[in-house]
Amino acid sequence: MVEVLEAIANGVLVGGVYAIISVGLTLVYGIMDIVNFAQADFLMLGMFAAYLCAQFLGLDPVLSSILVFPVIFLVGALVQRGLVQRVQKAPIVSQIFLTVGLSLVLQSLMQMIFGANFRSVTTSYQTKAISVGPLNLSVPYVLAFLASAVMALALWLFLERTDLGRCMRATAQNRVAATLVGIDPSKMYLVAFGIGTALAGMAGAVILPYAYVFPTVGHQYALIMFTVVVLGGLGNVLGSLVGGLLVGVIHSVSAVFLPTQLQNLVVFIIFILTLTFKPTGLVGRRAA
Amino acid sequence: MKNAKNARPTQRLSPWGLLAFAALLLPPLVLENNGYLLRVATLTLMYAGLGGAWNLLGGFAQQISLGHAAFFGLGAYTSTILLRDLGLSPWIGMLVAAALAGLASLIIGIPTFRLRGHYYALGTLAFAEVLRILFLYFRSFTGGAIGLSVPYMGDSFWYFQFYGNRPYYVVALAMLAVTMYLTHRVSTGPLGYRLRALRNSHEAAEVVGVDTTRAKLQANFLSAVLAGAYGTFYAQYHFFIDPDTVFGLMTFSVKMALITILGGLGNVWGPLVGAAILVPLDEWTNAVFTGGLAGASRFIYGSLLIVLILWQPRGLLYWANRSLERLRERRTGAMGEGVRP
Repeated sequence: MVEVLEAIANGVLVGGVYAIISVGLTLVYGIMDIVNFAQADFLMLGMFAAYLCAQFLGLDPVLSSILVFPVIFLVGALVQRGLVQRVQKAPIVSQIFLTVGLSLVLQSLMQMIFGANFRSVTTSYQTKAISVGPLNLSVPYVLAFLASAVMALALWLFLERTDLGRCMRATAQNRVAATLVGIDPSKMYLVAFGIGTALAGMAGAVILPYAYVFPTVGHQYALIMFTVVVLGGLGNVLGSLVGGLLVGVIHSVSAVFLPTQLQNLVVFIIFILTLTFKPTGLVGRRAA
Repeated sequence: MKNAKNARPTQRLSPWGLLAFAALLLPPLVLENNGYLLRVATLTLMYAGLGGAWNLLGGFAQQISLGHAAFFGLGAYTSTILLRDLGLSPWIGMLVAAALAGLASLIIGIPTFRLRGHYYALGTLAFAEVLRILFLYFRSFTGGAIGLSVPYMGDSFWYFQFYGNRPYYVVALAMLAVTMYLTHRVSTGPLGYRLRALRNSHEAAEVVGVDTTRAKLQANFLSAVLAGAYGTFYAQYHFFIDPDTVFGLMTFSVKMALITILGGLGNVWGPLVGAAILVPLDEWTNAVFTGGLAGASRFIYGSLLIVLILWQPRGLLYWANRSLERLRERRTGAMGEGVRP
């Protein structure tokens, strides 16, 4: 029983991170109608950025995530302006394969620079755990979750309380109407893609204390991310936060009952079931 | 194949096309039987055929599947396991493989064909992943991550195993001929019109009486049957299969699509042109960039994809046609109006 409770608790902790990676994907889709197949590679870029901060500046990955955000935002914004913007009105086949190509380029670029080997950082709290009642929670997981919660809160404040955030929500709800009231959609695309990718990058930084970084690390997260956004409703920010926690828990609990290799299978089956029976997501219609 | 029976005479093959295809008989006559070049040529034909299979749904209807490796991998494992456990000839295995892949396409089609656009791509991607995980997991049956070696039977036609590349080349050419003929028939037949109608708009196609789900199921079925058969060919040619390769997103699913897009989406000749460029390029970069530069071949791959999408999303054949037309216009224009700047 304790085992299951612990799995649930760990699931929530990891799920918080899934939520943040996925919320970026859903934000981009909500505003631009484009699924960024390279989203998980921005997580990888964030991990490498935090890795470099730890190696050369001696910064803790969780702290350096604050530095990683603007860096990945810039990369994301450049990618949007240079590449994604050009397929904004193109057929879906162009949109899909542009971001698939981008994913290949980012992975291979990092492989040429850093090689394919696994890297990690050492922190003082790496092996520490805190006890909550009968449960032992690993400190890196707790820190990653707290950082994710802060990011989610900041995103919520941004979308709800700032003019730019309101403009973005308006664009997501109705692009034509938003344009009519004077919102420049091209600026919204830029900000959405920048924030969407930067959130993934920042999440990459906060998981570095417990995860290895290598050029193709994104594969592990890509399908989890797609499951989360589909579960929450593609384009639905709140939905993907809830979906992230849900997938985290399911992923973690299924490891208790099933062999680890089948852990992902459960997630994919949920993914397929959701697509089959409720493609708009469990939470409902799109509302960014 | 009901559609092909009601085919109209306009489906005749062009003599130029037949001549171009006949030229593909030359490589095995000219190139060394055990040579690397003939191997690359054989792989080119195989990938051209895979692209052709993908083209049926991805090209004509532009329903983007990112999971065609599911059918390919299923085909590769089916014939190999039948050979291993029952000693069944891979030729028969290939038929079983194609049938199983076709069946899988119907099972996958039921939940995924309600999905449009990006959702469809995500759904197909998930199916291929599920198969990859299952084949990795059931180790005692599939060999798991270690992979499966095709039992060696010596140089035998019955067991679809040959010493040199020439027989494989001929088999691949025959399979490509079937694939291209089939895509040609679909393209010029009623199914092709239905698929092109739903490409532009599902709703509009439904309004004029196209059963879009049925059309997609038919196209995907043909596509899967072909992909499954190619899976068997790959296993027999390569003598080794593993889940991460044959069910892989980048190894097969994306490659089939890229080959087709490079040549021309929805064009019968597109995949052949795409494969003739991409497969040798792939082999060359893999040979040149090794060790520390191992990422370079994938970098070229990804960059090519991006450049292509931005520069010529309709593929090289479309671009070549347009350029030729423009050239002709300029020439006739020049004759009519005298010297032009």
